[in-house]
Amino acid sequence: MPRDRKVIPVLLSIAIFILLEIVSLHMMSNRKDLQRLWITKASHGFMALTWGTSQSIAHYFQLGKENRQLAMENLDLQKALQHVKAEERAWLLDSMKAGMKTVAGYTYIPAEIVKISSNSQHNYLIINKGSEDGVRPNSGIMTSCGAIGIIDAVDRHYSYGLSFRNADVTVSARLGMEGAVAPLSWDGRSTNGAILKEVPLQYKFSPGDTVWTSGWSAFFPPDVPLGTVGESKIINGSTNNINVSLFQDFTALRYVTIVSNDGLAEIKELESGGEGLTE
Amino acid sequence: MRRNFTLAYLILVAVQILICNYFHVSHYVMLSILPAMILCLPPKCGPTVSLLIAFATGLAVDFLADGVPGLNAMALLPVAMLRLPVIRFVFGEDVFESGGFSLRRNGILKVSFAIILVLALFLILYILADGAGTRPFWFNISRFGASLLAGYLLSLLIVDILSPDNRDL
Repeated sequence: MPRDRKVIPVLLSIAIFILLEIVSLHMMSNRKDLQRLWITKASHGFMALTWGTSQSIAHYFQLGKENRQLAMENLDLQKALQHVKAEERAWLLDSMKAGMKTVAGYTYIPAEIVKISSNSQHNYLIINKGSEDGVRPNSGIMTSCGAIGIIDAVDRHYSYGLSFRNADVTVSARLGMEGAVAPLSWDGRSTNGAILKEVPLQYKFSPGDTVWTSGWSAFFPPDVPLGTVGESKIINGSTNNINVSLFQDFTALRYVTIVSNDGLAEIKELESGGEGLTE
Repeated sequence: MRRNFTLAYLILVAVQILICNYFHVSHYVMLSILPAMILCLPPKCGPTVSLLIAFATGLAVDFLADGVPGLNAMALLPVAMLRLPVIRFVFGEDVFESGGFSLRRNGILKVSFAIILVLALFLILYILADGAGTRPFWFNISRFGASLLAGYLLSLLIVDILSPDNRDL
């Protein structure tokens, strides 16, 4: 009770203070334009602040509801995304099942990588297509971004390939569309770096030039883009070693194409025959 | 010589009106003794009574001194509202038992501090409302400083006149 006796006069005096201030401000704004504008501006600022704060508070208490709505929307989006992914996967598998296509002496077989190593000097990959799918040893593995490796061994349903990121793998490459042909191999360090070795000094090139497959290796068809020219270094004063930045990102590999040269056996036969003649 | 407080207060209101009408020292100086007068109201006057007195005093000066109606009243009301807390903060609770403060009993430092507090509050509100956002910041600051100095000196005299030592309640 004593506390009430103190509080009531204080509240009363505050109420009278506010009332008298309002009366004073009202008198000021009624008689003088300058003060009226000033008071109007201040009152608008005060009202905007009050409304803004009240809106913020109201919004804060509605956050729970909005979060639930967002969670539901997120769930719906996840479902839709899964649906799209499933359709995309089915479409890719269908296109892979469509089978082999033969173009200009090369047979192309779509495949999917099931395993790939990337942390050694002799990296390999395993592909989900084997002899029953028409895969043969010494076929190339490629994507639209370049050479990936070479099939080394074939099982009924799977194939074992040597990755391009393997110290033992070399691809015959051409510097530009009509430039020098030289062996291209992994630089042994980076994920997308390769070295084009033994390029004769008379062949001119510029950083940024494209490196293509030459078609001489019998593993890969010609004119598949591999990468772009970077820095170069003269070796023994007679040839250039050129750094190449590969187009293919080996960390994001999944779907590949196995490419077989239909004339490979004939070429091998000729080679062995030629060697016999030489001998 | 002991004076009647109410009579002295009314005379000082008239003095303030005269100051506003005839003593235009400078644009930078606004002489006001009203905050000191409200501060010197007897402590037994509660906030409500102080507010009503301040409002009436302010309005009287506004209307009779050809100023902006409501301007003095608006600036003086917060002084009346905070009068008792200021007195309690500067002079302590003893002043309520002794019937008020004075230069002789409480010393010039404490009285000056209390005067400056209420005068500054009054001048800030008065100068802002009078300028209505049209005056430059440095003009307002200069006006505040000059008015505070002049008002302080004048207020010391007012406190001496209205102090309980010279008061006949």
